[in-house]
Amino acid sequence: MNIELTAQQKALQQEVREYMKTVMTPELLEEIKIPEFKEGGGPEFRKQYARMGADGWIGLSWSKALGGKELSHVEQYIFTDEVVRSGFAYPFLTTESTTPVIAANANAEIREEVVGGVKQGKVVIAIGYSEPNAGTDLASLKTKAERDGDDWIINGQKMWTSLANYADYVWLAARTDPDESKKHKGLTMFLVPTNIEGFSLTPVHTLGVRTNATYYSDVRLPDKYRVGEVNEGWKLITGQLNIERLSLFTHGQVDSLYQGVCEWAAETDAPQGGKLIEQPWVQHNLATVKSGLEVVKLICWKQVWAMDQGPLNMADASVAKVYSSEFFVELYRLLLEVMGQAGTIATDSKGAVLKGKLEFRWRVGPVLTFGGGANEVQRDIIAMAGLWMPRTR
Amino acid sequence: MNFTISEEQQSAQQLAQQILSDFTEVDKLKAIEQQQKNFDADLWQALAKAGLLGLDIAEEQGGTGLGFYSLTALCEEIGRTVAPVPIIPVLVSAAGTLRRFASDTQKDQWLPGIANGTTLISAALEEYNNDDPTTPSCSAQKMEGGFAISGTKICISEATSVTRILLSAHTGDELVVALVDPRAAGVTLNPQLVSTGETRHELVMTKVQVPTEDIIATGSEALAAMNWAHQATRTALAAVAVGLCDKMMRITGQYTSEREQFGRPLATFQAVSHRVADCYIDVECLRLVTQQAASLIDEGHPAKDAVQIAKIWCGNAAHRVSQAAQHCHGGTGVDRDYPLFRYCQWARQIELTAGSSAQITGELGQAICAEYLSTTT
Ligand SMILES: Cc1cc2nc3c(=O)[nH]c(=O)nc-3n(C[C@H](O)[C@H](O)[C@H](O)COP(=O)(O)OP(=O)(O)OC[C@H]3O[C@@H](n4cnc5c(N)ncnc54)[C@H](O)[C@@H]3O)c2cc1C
Repeated sequence: MNIELTAQQKALQQEVREYMKTVMTPELLEEIKIPEFKEGGGPEFRKQYARMGADGWIGLSWSKALGGKELSHVEQYIFTDEVVRSGFAYPFLTTESTTPVIAANANAEIREEVVGGVKQGKVVIAIGYSEPNAGTDLASLKTKAERDGDDWIINGQKMWTSLANYADYVWLAARTDPDESKKHKGLTMFLVPTNIEGFSLTPVHTLGVRTNATYYSDVRLPDKYRVGEVNEGWKLITGQLNIERLSLFTHGQVDSLYQGVCEWAAETDAPQGGKLIEQPWVQHNLATVKSGLEVVKLICWKQVWAMDQGPLNMADASVAKVYSSEFFVELYRLLLEVMGQAGTIATDSKGAVLKGKLEFRWRVGPVLTFGGGANEVQRDIIAMAGLWMPRTR
Repeated sequence: MNFTISEEQQSAQQLAQQILSDFTEVDKLKAIEQQQKNFDADLWQALAKAGLLGLDIAEEQGGTGLGFYSLTALCEEIGRTVAPVPIIPVLVSAAGTLRRFASDTQKDQWLPGIANGTTLISAALEEYNNDDPTTPSCSAQKMEGGFAISGTKICISEATSVTRILLSAHTGDELVVALVDPRAAGVTLNPQLVSTGETRHELVMTKVQVPTEDIIATGSEALAAMNWAHQATRTALAAVAVGLCDKMMRITGQYTSEREQFGRPLATFQAVSHRVADCYIDVECLRLVTQQAASLIDEGHPAKDAVQIAKIWCGNAAHRVSQAAQHCHGGTGVDRDYPLFRYCQWARQIELTAGSSAQITGELGQAICAEYLSTTT
């Protein structure tokens, strides 16, 4: 039992941290002030993403056959943690979760086109699972794909297709068996190029980020863009969702907010005299954050360490998701309370603390408690897989 | 980074599980509770015979020297079985401190007896409103051939039966760590019934003479010894809480899966199963912070923050899991014929021992303040 990073792991952490400073160029910092480019997709974002590809930083976890370095999950996590901390809109879901699934299941031509493109930092993939009436109960989705000779004809609507406004492909789940009672046994995965005829989108502006509704109207898609076997899409979806979580809840991104607020409170005068950080209630909030943050770190380490040893325990994966998503929300509040009114001042407005990062972060907090596998479903899994309790109704 | 437990440690833990499950059947626990002292001497001897009392005692003194981490694994098993043995005061607070801070002569005098189960030494780290043994209000006066100690310590386990009690006092200039003989002149022991249901003791000392051979450390060594004892004790309490909470949660999962109301098992109501799932999350979080604190202490690395965080989680999880377990059981849970009440009593005791969550959150907050004030100008 030794719960510390090795010297080598610390060196990797430092190397990525330094590299990411060069990615966050002044031009990029300006570009992400433009609402349209906040989540990436601007020319400077494209340039830096491609540079990361050229410098060999993309796909570190992939197999050597795909041009990756087969990094362990621990090392991969260290990389992810630092990239998220830097604030770069790195498309993790493209690089870490969809691409490996595509690599394992697509035909040779598409693998070359898509996986090769991602490796070079030229391709971004949006995820098209959710629909207006298919959220947590994803297997009830209705977008359909019908065979027509060598092609598929796709019709339907997706909701919350994030990044579709600049992505090159949508990783689309569609119903290929018209019998809806088959639910998850009738789904197939496709890659839909976003420049194809019949594809369109409208923006959806949320409390925090921008996302999209995407529409598929008689989209004629060659069969080569099908990934995996017909009606076998469900296991590709669930495999992807499991990996997705590991890049959503990393420690560095919230640890840096905590440190930032500590520094701010140590520099800021309290009205009673002394510094704000000397107030007992401030210390209480900071200590509460610190003791919760420590668990985020340990949960992340334990999970990636466990993944290097073998398959991840289902209940443990759900514990990580529920704890982290709910603690993030709590952390935002505890840190915002320390800032008080200053915590309400938005990015780029006069008086914004930590560039308004916390004012923004609380806006995306709730998405993680219902998204990425709703926490109720995760608790159901914990009760069944961790405690052998019967299924709830 | 490596979360694996070594094979030696695993087999020690399995051995402990075997012995403990034999000794902690409900009838046995009840019989011990009828006794005057809530201490299972046969179990203690069985643990000694299996080499489990010497996990954190060096081989030269008859232990196995597996280390502090292994001892916390035993603590977890004690918690899981609510076994009536004074593992923390004797093996962690007293023996652990002696192993690291006593002279060779003292180690040879006391540790072999602790390892083989013939000697008991308890510890008295707490005073009224003061759980920190580095700042005792008990006083020590230097005298010919030793120190005279006065003052009061509280809630001491096995105070009437142990050979010595490890405690600290200060002379005004420096800290002194001593072994006090509870039979010495000037000692009064007053019984205190505590939440676990056992009788502990208040120790009142009036100029109790402690000979030099029973002085463990003075000055900076004494400070280091009490810092270690404080951190190790907090961590061991958290380890007991891991076992306690894990067991309470499992009892509750099982009970609600079997008990039916409205024609279906209670566990099929999401409101019920989610309450138990929340216990599972609490236990996992507590386990991780406890393992971190224990392994840092085991390796002799700085562990102050990690220990504070572990004890904060310990108090919070012990409270939440215990209350959830009671709630989900309905009346059965509070019935003394059902095993749960023992766990809840221990949970409350541990929560309030060696500093509550609120208090330690305050301590941690002050440390954060000091850290950032010193780096930010
Ligand atoms: C900003 C944002 C970005 C997103 N990006 C993407 C994306 O890129 N691609 C994509 O495919 N999707 C995306 N989503 C969609 C997201 O995955 C869904 O919002 C999520 O699956 C929940 O579905 P829903 O919104 O329909 O809520 P519902 O499923 O209707 O859930 C509503 C409430 O009911 C609860 N609930 C659901 N099921 C149960 C149950 N069995 N027991 C108890 N309670 C339950 C939920 O926890 C929630 O509190 C995004 C969403 C947002 C807001």
